[in-house]
Amino acid sequence: MALNLRQKQTECIIRMLNLNQPLKQSGTANEEVYKILIYDKFCQNILSPLIHVKDLRKHGVTLYFLIDKDRKTVRDVPAVYFVQPTQSNIHRIIPDASEALYDTFHLNFSSSIPRPLLEDLASGTLKSGAVEKVSKVYDQYLEFVTLEDNLFSLAQQSMYVQLNDPSAGEKEIEAIIERVANGLFCVLVTLGVVPVIRCPRGGPAEMVASLLDQKLRDHLLSKNNMFSEGGGFMSSFQRPLLCIFDRNFELSVGIQHDFRYRPLVHDVLGLKLNRLNVQGEKGGMKSFELDSSDPFWSANSSLEFPEVAVEIETQLNKYKRDVEEVNKRTGGGSGAEFDGTDLIGNTKHLMNAVNSLPELTERKQVIDKHTNIATALLGQIKERSIDAFTKKESDMMMRGGIDRAELMAALKGKGTKMDKLRFAIMYLISTETINQSEVESVEAALNEAGADTSAFQYVKKIKSLNVSLAASANSASRSNIVDWAEKLYGQSISAVTAGVKNLLSSDQQLAVTRTVEALTEGKPNPEFDSYLLLDPRAPKSSSGGGSHVKGPFREAMVFMIGGGNYVEYGSLQELTQRQLTVKNVIYGATEILTGSELVEQLGVLGKKMGLGGPVASSSSSGH
Amino acid sequence: MQAKSSYRDRTDEFFGIVETLRRSIAPAAAANINVAYGGGRREDPRSAAVMQSEFNRRASVIGLAIHQTSQKLSKLAQLAKRSSVFDDPTREIGELTAVIKQEISGLNTALLDLQAVRNSHNDERNISRDTTTHSATVVDDLKNRLMDTTKEFKDVLTLRTENMKIHENRRQRFTNNPSKESTNPFVRQRPLASKPAPSQPAPLPWANGSSSSSSQLVPRRQGEAESSPLLQQSQQQQMVPLQDTYMESRAEALHNVESTIHELSNIFTQLATMVSQQGEIAIRIDQNMEDTLANVEGAQSQLARYLNSISSNRWLMIKIFFVLIAFLMVFLFFVA
Repeated sequence: MALNLRQKQTECIIRMLNLNQPLKQSGTANEEVYKILIYDKFCQNILSPLIHVKDLRKHGVTLYFLIDKDRKTVRDVPAVYFVQPTQSNIHRIIPDASEALYDTFHLNFSSSIPRPLLEDLASGTLKSGAVEKVSKVYDQYLEFVTLEDNLFSLAQQSMYVQLNDPSAGEKEIEAIIERVANGLFCVLVTLGVVPVIRCPRGGPAEMVASLLDQKLRDHLLSKNNMFSEGGGFMSSFQRPLLCIFDRNFELSVGIQHDFRYRPLVHDVLGLKLNRLNVQGEKGGMKSFELDSSDPFWSANSSLEFPEVAVEIETQLNKYKRDVEEVNKRTGGGSGAEFDGTDLIGNTKHLMNAVNSLPELTERKQVIDKHTNIATALLGQIKERSIDAFTKKESDMMMRGGIDRAELMAALKGKGTKMDKLRFAIMYLISTETINQSEVESVEAALNEAGADTSAFQYVKKIKSLNVSLAASANSASRSNIVDWAEKLYGQSISAVTAGVKNLLSSDQQLAVTRTVEALTEGKPNPEFDSYLLLDPRAPKSSSGGGSHVKGPFREAMVFMIGGGNYVEYGSLQELTQRQLTVKNVIYGATEILTGSELVEQLGVLGKKMGLGGPVASSSSSGH
Repeated sequence: MQAKSSYRDRTDEFFGIVETLRRSIAPAAAANINVAYGGGRREDPRSAAVMQSEFNRRASVIGLAIHQTSQKLSKLAQLAKRSSVFDDPTREIGELTAVIKQEISGLNTALLDLQAVRNSHNDERNISRDTTTHSATVVDDLKNRLMDTTKEFKDVLTLRTENMKIHENRRQRFTNNPSKESTNPFVRQRPLASKPAPSQPAPLPWANGSSSSSSQLVPRRQGEAESSPLLQQSQQQQMVPLQDTYMESRAEALHNVESTIHELSNIFTQLATMVSQQGEIAIRIDQNMEDTLANVEGAQSQLARYLNSISSNRWLMIKIFFVLIAFLMVFLFFVA
């Protein structure tokens, strides 16, 4: 049983749309009930990647509105509310109920509604005499956005800034940790599993892990809990492993450029909630959707860009061949004689052709879509020479340094200010010892390019304050080299023959991936033995002691506090293909960030510390 | 897989809180609230609510009927898939076909009725825009479902015809006896199937107002019904004792032409539905939002332009006024 988060969440939403009634085999409710769906902004983000208007119609939803919209009365129709449990939403629901906008109200809250808010709701509806209107109140535990089968985001913005803000108080940090743990708890409830939690000691990761552990324990103690019973005979083999990391664990991945299709689309074109807006040829914006319903996307999104271009070409040729075939069979345009004996066969062919048309048009649409995207990407890559940045950055991470001439060439060459800034930060992270004169010249180059250097300053400061941050990232990439040198050497020959760029970088493993691999294998490893181990099912006294929770894990979940990215997601999905023990890895983050977004957050931190260059306002125009 | 519930029903808790709150409020106040509540209720435009529920009731009845029909249809499909020569459930198939056909035509008229009800409601003023949209969507949804059912029905019939043809070929190969009239499945099946056709009501006068997708259904079914007399005719021709091969081949050709025409009509309807289906497949719920945003922005810029034009007009008016005053002054001075 592979855990499929997207499928699970969709099931939950469909069940909610059917007023939480049990489903029949056919997937539609017993009785056809037409209803109205009301959601808030956050829940719209949850719904929109998962379910289309067509599916909504199929489940009897005739109208769908944002809660803030001015809505009119629709008598005699039940309304399904799917909102976050917040004060403002409650205060929108109460007048709706008292004005009797709809017949009955089915209230679904995206996470557990706290008692005071429930009391608010009760007193509000009681005062206006509309209690009878509220027919059901549910906690749905769906407060996360699932983007792909194994990718979710808690959609909590600028978490990195909030956690690393030097001026943040204890209370604020605790509130943030609480929110993250809540989101994770929702994910676990939806999946219906109690994982074994591991995380590095110290920092936000440990705080989230222990809070989550506490939550799960409390929940498991209550009688009617939402996790499947019979955890006793479940061995560690069937339980997933949840690894929680902090963005500072490996900052470089969030900043570096990448040349694979999915990260590139996300980083350069700004993929958001599986939707992409691309400037069309005639200046109009085109919007595309990229998710698992797109076969090309799911097959090729982890390939490098040049390979994707080749793949598009072959698909296009195949499509053209098929169209020709259909044309030939139906004799369209050839002006063939229309004799009687051929008549029957002809209509048969015509029928077949008509039947094959939908499939062909679908393929055509997919090809068109990706051609458009690839063209837009290529334009950006040429303009900013992203390939050069990618190559040099991965070189830096490998060797732990770079020639001064090459560094300067990159900083003075093509690319936006943001690209240069990211490159400079990568340089800082990769080098072990700060060469003062070199750093100064880098700074001068950045200033010359007009970039906002506060992010750079921040990283420099952090590095000098806390050498271990850089050291850990560095030692990781170092030992990486030793491990993989042999392999790299073997494959670099084929790389040359294949003429594929950047094969080195695609084989370079991220620290997160290596850690997850080691943790799931469960073999003693001095590097990771110090990691905190929490098992919410085990009794409190013996936690950490049981050897049964150390065994190999088939399912793993990785959670990144402070913003994840598609590079890590892709790397973890590769792990499942390469490795035998791990079958499935779910990756999640507080939000999915592009490199420039993360750098902007670093810049905000830099400004808060009173650092930053004179051209502070230019960061927004960098991308 | 284990059946888990990843949600928690807190309705009881909610009503518990309501109870305690109600008890904590003084009983008199509670009574007041109840009175006020009852009064507010009485003000409701009752008639509108009644009509709406009439609409809802009808819609759910139709929905249920479509569901039942599609269940029968799946049964029919199972029967039709049986391809054994020996136990050929021709009779059952014929009966089921007749029943389903009747049901579908009945549903079609019911749907048109529903639409009429909706239209008559819309004429009244006190119905909100959202209600109108809601009922329109309900009707569309039902129409689509009926459409799908009809299509499925047609597919099953086509499958059945194909099977019949195969049987016929096999039988001819083995018996070598052209005793067609006794075994021809079309004769037995068709009259049964076309029985309800005469009783089928003519398209109602307001059918013109309905959308094209539903009005397509009626003529097509009539076309099917018309094709069966043609068949019977060819059958009679064969009964003429002349065992002329020439005649037989003519009949065959006629038959083929008929089936060709039928297939063509299928293609056209399929194309029509394909075009109509393109619409809402790929819409996401946040698309609406963006459209709205764009519209709002457009409206804002239009307003700004209007404001500009208005303010410039104002200037123009003031200027004209000044000129007039000046003229008046000059006039008064020189005349007076």
